[in-house]
This record gives sequence, structure tokens and C-alpha cells, in this order.
Amino acid sequence: MNLDKDQCYHLGHVSKVRGFKGETVLFLDVDNPADYAELDSVLIDLRGSLHPFFIESLTIDDKGFARAKFEGITTRDAATEISGKELFLPLDRLPELPDDRYYLHELKGMEVRDEKHGAIGAVNQVLDYSHNPLIQVLTRTHEILIPLNDDFVKKVDKKKGQIEVSVPDELLTVNKL
Amino acid sequence: MSRSLKKPPFVHYKLQKRVDDAQSAGKKSVIKTWSRASTITPDFVGLTVAVHNGNKFIPVYVTENMVGHKLGEFSPTRTFRGHAGNRKDKKR
Repeated sequence: MNLDKDQCYHLGHVSKVRGFKGETVLFLDVDNPADYAELDSVLIDLRGSLHPFFIESLTIDDKGFARAKFEGITTRDAATEISGKELFLPLDRLPELPDDRYYLHELKGMEVRDEKHGAIGAVNQVLDYSHNPLIQVLTRTHEILIPLNDDFVKKVDKKKGQIEVSVPDELLTVNKL
Repeated sequence: MSRSLKKPPFVHYKLQKRVDDAQSAGKKSVIKTWSRASTITPDFVGLTVAVHNGNKFIPVYVTENMVGHKLGEFSPTRTFRGHAGNRKDKKR
């Protein structure tokens, strides 16, 4: 099975090598690293393509770090080759969320409807800027960026594939030439 | 080196005026600005400021956590598209 990065989410990276027997330290860039204590495999990005690596043992430490031993990696040199590489997992491995919560990647392609102006367009991508995530909607003439917060985004209907927003008029035209 | 404490935080005077107007009117309008160096003060909280990044305006919804930071910090000017070395690998 050859997975593309679009079908996966970023889990973290191999932070460094630990010891001389091929053990590594992983950094898990997730809200709750303890959810991944039972992880049995990960995908590692090697030269642009994802390769599965099976985990022999995994110990979650604090602050998002974990000690991991991969199958087939028994020397420090072998572990050094994957050091610094990015870790991914298939999207279907994400924990299910209740209806009122959503993952950012789920918003892509959803229809955006404004209370006043009706349908604006479809979400082209989600810009995950720190403290200020935005959804990008491309219209025929210009780009619309909407901050993802409760003041603007009123409802995300995952079943209908719709996002209901209430935005000021200026926000719809701020990037119009 | 940090800014002298005897000076107030820098906020462009035109931006400050528009923020004051928006707060007094209680209107949730979008304020366009090119002043990336302006500091976010508590007056900004709850407003949406469209900060220019050299190419387009990035709307920034100001929250309490942003107070003390500069507006430009929330409007990135560059898009990371991977390292040159990685691009070569992909071509092969």
C-alpha cells in the first residue's frame, strides 16, 4: 500500500537517536500524546515518499516526546538515517470527534454560506497560521480569507458539507482588486 | 534590546484612530492596515484587523492572547514550499 501525504496527517518527527541499540526519540506534535501509547506503526517520509515502520516498543514521556524502537533498526547508524524525518499516520487513524468538533483537513471542499450573502464558494484550503487559522475561499475574481473562530463561523455541518458563517461585508471584499 | 519603558507601545496613529472609532461605535468592521510594526494593545481585542503581508491582506481576529505582540506576527510574508534538496529528490 502506497499512501500519499494528502491521505495522511502529520504526527510529528524523529527528534534524535537515543543510545547505541537503534532507539529513537520521537516528538509527537499532537494535543494529547498519551492517545498514541498503543501505536504499532507509523509512516516515515524518506525522500518524499512514505514508508511504513513497525514499532517494537513505545514509551510516552512528557512534553510530547516518546522513546521508540522500530523493527529492523538495531544500530545507531540505522537510527541516524531516520533521525529528523517527519512522521505521518493515515487519516482514518484519527480519533472520531463529536459532531460539533472538526479537524481542519475536514473543512477542505466544504461549501461556505454566509447568513447575508448566501453561498460564497468552497473551501480551497485551510491556512493553519499560529493563533489565527483561516479558511481560504477562491471565487472567480478574488480570494476570501475567513478567520476560524466562533464569532465568524457559526456552524460546521459535516454531514451536509456546509460551513455557515456570518462575516462583515469588508471581509468578503478586502482582497478584491 | 527592549523598548524603553517610559515610551508607550508603538501603534500607528491612523490605526489607533480607526481602532478607537470602531470601539466607540461598537461596530465589528474590518480595519485595513499596512502597519505591521504596530503593537496590539487591549483596545484591539475583539476587532478584526486586515494586515497586509506585501501581497494581500490577512484578516487577524484579535484575541487577548495576542496583546503585546506586533500585528505582523500574525500575517506571514513567506510560504514554505519545502527545501530545494527535497524538490530534487521528488523529480528523480
